[in-house]
Amino acid sequence: MKIPGRIETILKFKEKGGKVAAVTPYHYPKALLRAFNILPVELWGPPKQNTMASKGHLQTYVCSVVHSILNYYLTDGLKSVDYVLVPHTCDSLQGLGSLFIDFFNNVNIRFLTFYLPRGRRSADLEFTAKEIEKLYKELASLTGKSPDFEELFLHIENEEKAVSVLKKLLRNRRQYNVNDYAFYKFLRTKEYLSAEDFVKFAEEFENKFKTEKPLNETGIVLSGLVPEPMEIFRLINQNNAVVSGDDLSITGRRLYPKGEGNSPFVRMAKSLVFSPPDSMRGDSVEFRLQRLLSLAKKGNAKGVIFFIVKFCEPEYFYLPFLRKELKEKGIESIVLDTDINENLSQQTITRIEVFLETLT
Amino acid sequence: MNIANLVKYHFLGKILGKIFLRIERKKGEKKIKKFTGKNSPFNPPLKITAYTKEFVSSHYLKGRYVEGVKPVAWVTSGAPVEILKALGFFLIYPENHAALCGARKVQMPLIEAAEKEGLSNNVCSYVRTDIGSLITGETPAGKLPKPDLLVACSNICQTVLHWYRMLEKHFHIPLVIIDTPFIYGEIEEHQVDYVKKQLENELLPAAEKVSGNLLKERELAKVLKLSKDATELWLEILNLCSETPSPLTIFDQFVFMAPIVEMRGDKETVDFYSAMLKEVKSRVNRGMGALKKERKRVLWDNLPIWFKMRELATKFAERGICLPISTYTYAWGELAPLMDLNKNEFETIAKVYLSPILNKGTGHKLNTMVNLVKNFKLDGIILHSDRSCKPYSIGQLDQRNKLVKEHGIPALLLEADQNDMNSFSEEQAAIRIESFLETMGV
Repeated sequence: MKIPGRIETILKFKEKGGKVAAVTPYHYPKALLRAFNILPVELWGPPKQNTMASKGHLQTYVCSVVHSILNYYLTDGLKSVDYVLVPHTCDSLQGLGSLFIDFFNNVNIRFLTFYLPRGRRSADLEFTAKEIEKLYKELASLTGKSPDFEELFLHIENEEKAVSVLKKLLRNRRQYNVNDYAFYKFLRTKEYLSAEDFVKFAEEFENKFKTEKPLNETGIVLSGLVPEPMEIFRLINQNNAVVSGDDLSITGRRLYPKGEGNSPFVRMAKSLVFSPPDSMRGDSVEFRLQRLLSLAKKGNAKGVIFFIVKFCEPEYFYLPFLRKELKEKGIESIVLDTDINENLSQQTITRIEVFLETLT
Repeated sequence: MNIANLVKYHFLGKILGKIFLRIERKKGEKKIKKFTGKNSPFNPPLKITAYTKEFVSSHYLKGRYVEGVKPVAWVTSGAPVEILKALGFFLIYPENHAALCGARKVQMPLIEAAEKEGLSNNVCSYVRTDIGSLITGETPAGKLPKPDLLVACSNICQTVLHWYRMLEKHFHIPLVIIDTPFIYGEIEEHQVDYVKKQLENELLPAAEKVSGNLLKERELAKVLKLSKDATELWLEILNLCSETPSPLTIFDQFVFMAPIVEMRGDKETVDFYSAMLKEVKSRVNRGMGALKKERKRVLWDNLPIWFKMRELATKFAERGICLPISTYTYAWGELAPLMDLNKNEFETIAKVYLSPILNKGTGHKLNTMVNLVKNFKLDGIILHSDRSCKPYSIGQLDQRNKLVKEHGIPALLLEADQNDMNSFSEEQAAIRIESFLETMGV
């Protein structure tokens, strides 16, 4: 399969007259950007950077994802983008958004923000719809375009289709004869491909890798923000295990339900507000526990790996309760602190190996 | 209401407790005399200092016996408490409790207990302190009353949302989240509307249900007025610290601020700050400062390092360095003008609670610091880079650079933590403070 990379995708999109928005993690109304002919390209780092530049602006106790994003910006990694959208995900990304807006005057890039409420109540829904509408007005003012409801609905449907394809791929994980590294490498193309392209390539993927004989390795659930370094997947597979349940922010936590309503803003809001249980959204321990148990059951998983980007406070809080209750239900778990700019340490590798051995 | 509990609450919590605390106050007054003797760099503290401890302790003392007498809510420091007060709730602030543990230097065994239970050492040290207290049952307050309701407002950080989810799981009681969107620029109508709706449709019904009381508009207006009065008095006291010499230092303020955080909305708090204002004014009129000698004046940014208060206060005082104001203590006064009593109460509350410095951008904080430097005639700034408080600390590196380069103000970044001693290097802090004082010519 020949899937274009990020840079190639960005350049091609721009050649056709489109604009590009770099989007920091991670809940945002993708369809809205597309309706303005803006390609959202997500920034989950990039990983494996030497973050010397960001260290002049952020303390060392800020997570490596935020460091990397800022470092990438400071080292001209974002020079080909027109906008940077910072959804309000956590205190650190809030701080980053504020730094961009208040201190980094950049005439070539416009910084935008988006606040997704922490609740799932009617007030949260109403606010989200207004927040999306506000973003619509900002984009209309920046681009001079005013996509009508029909256009908006078209892109909403495209995005909903891409999400349902992602959902299907994750649900049928054991039916694809491909290792986890390659599987997730493909899934992560959704971070920069248009919904239409992702759906098209997903079909090719399915045709190429679908097997009659499901993978029978030991299943595990992977939980956390982003699986970096991605070597984690190779290590899991080398130890006769497979990621059969996904509780990752890049993928499983963004399996949005289809929205509904006559207003495109409300429809997008409904979809975002009712996302799967998520630490970053401050969901209850119980809600998250039920999600993990359900993922473990559906994927026939015996263990959970909490793969935590160091200093990611929202993830840490849940762990004592989740681990205790998972254990009571017969599901073992392990917590690994990672830095997206570093390789897996020998100690981490050994811990994963021992953990997986105990499961098989 | 249980009669036995009611009797205990009034007899032990109020009458006997009051006597006990008064004896403790006398002891405290003697200690203060020693601390401010002939060789001390400090002038005698305000007379109200010893009473402050009595006043704050009386709150915790009542708390020991309040279960079954009044509904109890545990709330974040930035929660809109006026509604709860008007419904008769007794309030506990876990953040303040954690600070109390830090100031009394009993926090480390609690932090260790929380970490032993699986809570990462990368989590806010207030949380670790408080969760440790829950696990061990240890607290310098004697005993904290069990909550009937939890209220978390996100206007100070996202951390509190997760913290209160843990409490929800622990206590199995209702949690109301008041989500306050972060204000990157100016407050917008839909943001106010959102917070107002949460107050009306989420907090009020839950609090009414738990308390069994219905909100009386007159009572809410009364509490809001008391809250505004206390906040205005606190602001007036702080503004008097712009005088030279300053009648108070931040180390005094960190102690005196407890009532404005945890007892705003009470008449006693207004009385307390009225008395304090009178005394502070009298000091200003007599030209009496907190320090015997004030050579330089410095701003403190961020939370205190609770377990190092005394040492830092002495260290600076010995060098004639007065810290007359901090962004943190000022934050509890600067919202007073927003408390418009002529508007709909819920709208006023929504606007006020959207506006804390921690819910606004780094540029806003920089402007606040620059204004404080100007208005309080300051010579430098110490920015406490607090490992536990990311929303307060992120942006400080750029703020420091701008303060130095664009405003010509000497500024020091001091790496530490509000409660966790393991994140504080005595030696490194001493060296950095020394170097900073040298650059200011002290």
